[in-house]
Amino acid sequence: MNLILFTFIVLLGFTSYYFGRKKAYTIQSTKKRLTALPQFYGYYLAIWCAIPAFIIFSLWAIFEPTIVKLLILSDYSNQGYLDDELNLLYEKSKALSRGQFTGEITPFIEASAEKYLSLRSIAQSSKVVIVLSAIIASVAYAYKRISSNSRTREPVEKFLNAVLFTASLAAILTTVGIVFSLIFQTIDFFKVIPLFDFVFGTHWYPAKAFVRDSSEALDPTMYSDTFGAVPIFAGTFFIAFIAMCVAIPIGLMSGIYLAEYASTKVRQYAKPLIEILAGIPTVVYGFFAALTVGPFLKELGTSMGLEVSAESALAAGGVMGIMIIPFISSLSDDVITSVPQSLRDGSYAIGATKSETIKRVIFPAALPGIVGSILLGVSRAIGETMIVVMASGLAANLTLNPLESTSTITAQIVVILIGDQAFGDPKTQAAFALGMSLFLVTLCLNIVALRVVKKYREKYE
Amino acid sequence: MIKIKAKDVDVFYGKKQALFNISLDIEENQVTALIGPSGCGKSTFLRCLNRMNDVIDICSVKGEILINDFNINDKSCDVVRLREKIGMVFQKPNPFPKTLYENVSYGPTIHGMAQSKQEMDEIVETSLKKAALWEEVKDRLHEPGTGLSGGQQQRLCIARAISVRPEVILMDEPCSALDPIATAQIEELIDELKKEHTIIIVTHSMAQAARVSQNTGFFHLGQLIEHGSTDKIFKNPDNKKTQDYITGRFG
Repeated sequence: MNLILFTFIVLLGFTSYYFGRKKAYTIQSTKKRLTALPQFYGYYLAIWCAIPAFIIFSLWAIFEPTIVKLLILSDYSNQGYLDDELNLLYEKSKALSRGQFTGEITPFIEASAEKYLSLRSIAQSSKVVIVLSAIIASVAYAYKRISSNSRTREPVEKFLNAVLFTASLAAILTTVGIVFSLIFQTIDFFKVIPLFDFVFGTHWYPAKAFVRDSSEALDPTMYSDTFGAVPIFAGTFFIAFIAMCVAIPIGLMSGIYLAEYASTKVRQYAKPLIEILAGIPTVVYGFFAALTVGPFLKELGTSMGLEVSAESALAAGGVMGIMIIPFISSLSDDVITSVPQSLRDGSYAIGATKSETIKRVIFPAALPGIVGSILLGVSRAIGETMIVVMASGLAANLTLNPLESTSTITAQIVVILIGDQAFGDPKTQAAFALGMSLFLVTLCLNIVALRVVKKYREKYE
Repeated sequence: MIKIKAKDVDVFYGKKQALFNISLDIEENQVTALIGPSGCGKSTFLRCLNRMNDVIDICSVKGEILINDFNINDKSCDVVRLREKIGMVFQKPNPFPKTLYENVSYGPTIHGMAQSKQEMDEIVETSLKKAALWEEVKDRLHEPGTGLSGGQQQRLCIARAISVRPEVILMDEPCSALDPIATAQIEELIDELKKEHTIIIVTHSMAQAARVSQNTGFFHLGQLIEHGSTDKIFKNPDNKKTQDYITGRFG
C-alpha cells in the first residue's frame, strides 16, 4: 500500500515538473521575460509536491505507532495493570493481528487485536487522503505563484543546498553517534576496571571473565590482572612496525621507479597491476599468511634450528606489509609526479644526473607528501584485523620476538565479540575500550598525515 | 670567434618534425637573440644546445652541433660535463624549494667544485654578486629561495646557472614572467654577463632583442629564415618574412 502511494507521489512529482515547465513556455509565448529557465519552473513545482509528502510521511511514521498504542491501551486503563504488563498485552495483540501469536488467546487480546487492525486501516486510508490533499493544495499554491511569474530559481537553489546539507549532516551525525556510544561504553568499562590497570597492566586474559555466572554479583576484584592492555598494544605496534619495514622500502622504491624511471608504457601497465594488490580482500591475505607464509616460515626456521611458531608476528606483519605496498607506492608516485617539471629541468640543466636530481631535489620537495602517505599506511596497519586474526594467533603474549605469536587490538575485539555476549558485561565493554583506544590512535595519525599533506600542497599551488 | 656551430640540425617529436636543417654560428662573448612567433622552434633549438631534449622521450635530434669544435651529439659526449659548461635559465623562475645558499651551491656540490666550506661560501658570494642579487639577500642566505619576488627568483636562477662557471648561458624567455622593472634589471645583467659568458637568449619581445643582443636569428615554422647582426636584421633585413615580423605585420 505504502509502495503504491509512494510511486503515485513520484509520478505526481514528474507531472508537476512537466506542468511547471509547460506553464513557463506559455508565459514565454506571451512575450514576457521569464525570471529563470523553464526547467526551474518545473523543479519548483516538483519540490512543492515532494516537500509536503515527505513531511507528512515522516510525521506519520513517528506518531502513528504511539497513537495506536495509546488508543488500544486506553481499554485497559483503570484495571490496575503495571506498565510492563500493558506493554506485553500490546505486543501480544499486535502479534495476534499478524497471525504470529502462539500463546493462549484470551478474549481481551482478541478484541485488542481486532481493534488494532481496524485502527491501522483507518490510519492507512486517512494517510492517503491527507497526503494527497496536502500535495494538491501545495502544488496549486505553487502553480499560482509561477503563473504570476514570481522567482523560482532562488527557491530551487536553496532547496538543493538544503538537501546536500542534510546528506552531509547525516554522515556527520552517524560518526558522532558512533563515537558517543564508544565513549559511554568505555566509561562504563572503566567504572569496573581501573584505568590504571587497563593502561599499565601486562596481563590480558579476557577468557577469565567467562567463568563468572551471570547471576552472581559483579565483583571487581576478580577482574584484577585480566584486562591489562599492554601486551596487545605492544603486539599491535610491533606487527605494524614489521609491516612498515616491508611496505616502506618496497612501496617507496616502486613509487620512485614508476614516477621517474619507468617509461610511459611500463607505467601504463605497472601502475594498475600494483593497484590490484590494493583490491585483494584482506581475508585472502589472511589465509595466504596463515596457510602459506606461516608454515613456510616455520619450516624454514626449523631447518635453521630456530623455534618458529606457525602463527608468528613475522608472517602476519610481513603479509600486512605486502598489503600496504600499493598504498605507499601509489600515493608517493602521485606526490613525486606532482613535483613541478621545472624543478627537474633546473636540476638537469646544471648537470645533475637522474639519481642526484631525485635525491637532492625531488625527494626533499616531495617528502611531506611521502610522510603523509606513510602515516596513512601506518594507520591502516594498526586498524587491520583479518590478517592478524588468521595468521598471528589470539594469545596476547608480551614479546618482542617476531617468531612468536602475538595479538593486536583488533584481533582481541574479534575474540571478545564472537559468539554470545552479554551487554553491560565488563568483557563486552572491554571491546569498546579497545575500540576507543584504536580510534584515538588512528585519528591522531590521520590528522597528522592530513596536516602534513596539506602543508605540502600549499607549497606548490 | 665562433663558439657554437650548428650544422644541419633536424629535430623530431615522434614523427612530427619541429626543426628543419638549422645551421647557425654563434659568436663567443656576445649575446645572440632568437626571435620568432610562438611554436616556431626557437626554444627547441635552444634546448638542443645543452641536450635538454634528452629528457623528452619522443624527441630526437639529428645533425651536428659543435661547441669548441666538439660535436655534442656524438656518443662520446658526457652530458653531465656538457651541462656544466652550458648553463640554462628558464622562462618561469624555478628555484629549488631549498634555502638561497643551497640553491646556489647545488651545482658546485654535484660537480665537486669546492674542497671546503670556505670555498663554497666564496662561490656562492661571487655568483650572487655577479647575478646582482648579493646586496638584497646577503642577510638571509638561509631562508627559502621560494620566498623571493619573481625578479629576485630569476636572478637567483641566474646565480645558480653561473655558479659552475659555464662558458655559455642559454636563456629561454627569461623575462616573460617578470614586470618591466625586473626585466630591466635582468637585461642590464645580461649585458654584464656577456663579458665572461656567451649568451643565447630566446625572446618574444623584439624590443628586448634589439636592446640586449649583438646577433639575431629569426625562426619561422621550424626554419631559420635569416640571421645576422642585430642591426642588420632590425634595420635592413634581406627576407620579406623577417621584415614583416619585425614590423609587426604577423606573429
